[in-house]
Amino acid sequence: MNLTSQCEYCEILRKEKNILASSSDAVVAVRDKVVTPGQITIFPKEHYPIMEMVPEEVLQQCAILANKVSIAVFESLSSQGTNILVRNGLGAGQDVAHFGIEIIPRKEGDGLNFDWKPRQLMEDEIEMVHTTLLEAVEESRSSPKKEEKRDDKKEIKIVEGKENYLLKSIKRIP
Amino acid sequence: MAEAPKLTEEQAKALQEKLKNMPPEELERLQRENCIFCKIIHGEMQTRKIYEDDVCLVTLDIAPASKGHLLIIPKEHYSIMPQVPDRVLAYICVIAKRFSQIVLRTLKVSGTNIFIANGSVAGQRAQHFLLHLIPRKEGDKVLDLQEKIINQEMVENVKIAVEDKLFQLMGVKKPESKTENLPRIQEPAEMEQEEGSKPEKKISTRKKTPILKKSPSVEIVNEEPAKEKQPEEEEANLNDIANLFR
Repeated sequence: MNLTSQCEYCEILRKEKNILASSSDAVVAVRDKVVTPGQITIFPKEHYPIMEMVPEEVLQQCAILANKVSIAVFESLSSQGTNILVRNGLGAGQDVAHFGIEIIPRKEGDGLNFDWKPRQLMEDEIEMVHTTLLEAVEESRSSPKKEEKRDDKKEIKIVEGKENYLLKSIKRIP
Repeated sequence: MAEAPKLTEEQAKALQEKLKNMPPEELERLQRENCIFCKIIHGEMQTRKIYEDDVCLVTLDIAPASKGHLLIIPKEHYSIMPQVPDRVLAYICVIAKRFSQIVLRTLKVSGTNIFIANGSVAGQRAQHFLLHLIPRKEGDKVLDLQEKIINQEMVENVKIAVEDKLFQLMGVKKPESKTENLPRIQEPAEMEQEEGSKPEKKISTRKKTPILKKSPSVEIVNEEPAKEKQPEEEEANLNDIANLFR
């Protein structure tokens, strides 16, 4: 029994059903389980359960697609805004064990509420979280580099035109 | 800078006219001067900063949904997401991934949300695009969303409504066959033009050494497969989280 055989997103990919578009490593699809109709999901073709497992260049492709989908939704569903949401891990409400980005169209009076009640934290609690995170960042900077093993097929192909624009745009990051 | 507290109708009109005729650079400058996040970025306002590089700043949210709620803020002032260049958005998502890893490892939570509010109806409060990274625990009632099932007809309708615009943005032609020839991203001439037509602005004047590992730009330009730079010690923890699904 394969892990991907029960995955809704892998199933969408296998059946090529309800797919809007795709790039070399990611897919844009419409799910039937949504917060509001018009919602569109972007996910990697490869089965990565959570974001931490998604290689950075695949995540970047997903992000760029998310921006395009968000603009397309703005202009074609006459929405007045969008929410972009990643539910990463069971505790975050993730219900498909395959990383994805959801684009949720918003309209005045649509009845959706994404607001949260600000958590009242004690000053020392905030101080502690701040210190903990600063230390973790410091640690990740000073720890020795370890190279992660990667599948050959996931290497970025420099020669192919369709990859090039992604690379070009990434190269412009200062 | 101090303006009279109340404007007469005439004055208000004159001001509106002035704003209308203001050169875009001037208007932009005015916008920045009044943007709370631009103030934070330029150190004119106190914040609990966690990380900073040339492109973005990471700080604790002052009205957090949960303990460790982070804001990832691009240094450049973009009001809404469509204005954010692909490269900046891609970079910010990579930073979000790295911080999600850090949060999962250090704050003992069982998940993270990435959340963007794009437009005021979507809950965007400040006119400066930013990304929320929210540490989550089961039952914490944050972003508690009700979902429903829509029928196939509705799914098709969404596809039909969005596909033309999406293909145009991706720079691809609509495929003849629905399923076999899915559009793929090609060289979008449109995007190149868009980026070329505007003079590129420097994101920061002061150089800062990135605190995290190399930026993704360096990794990919090297013509080698990009490498994950996070230490591996958290693997067990992350696998545990992933394993919860099995």
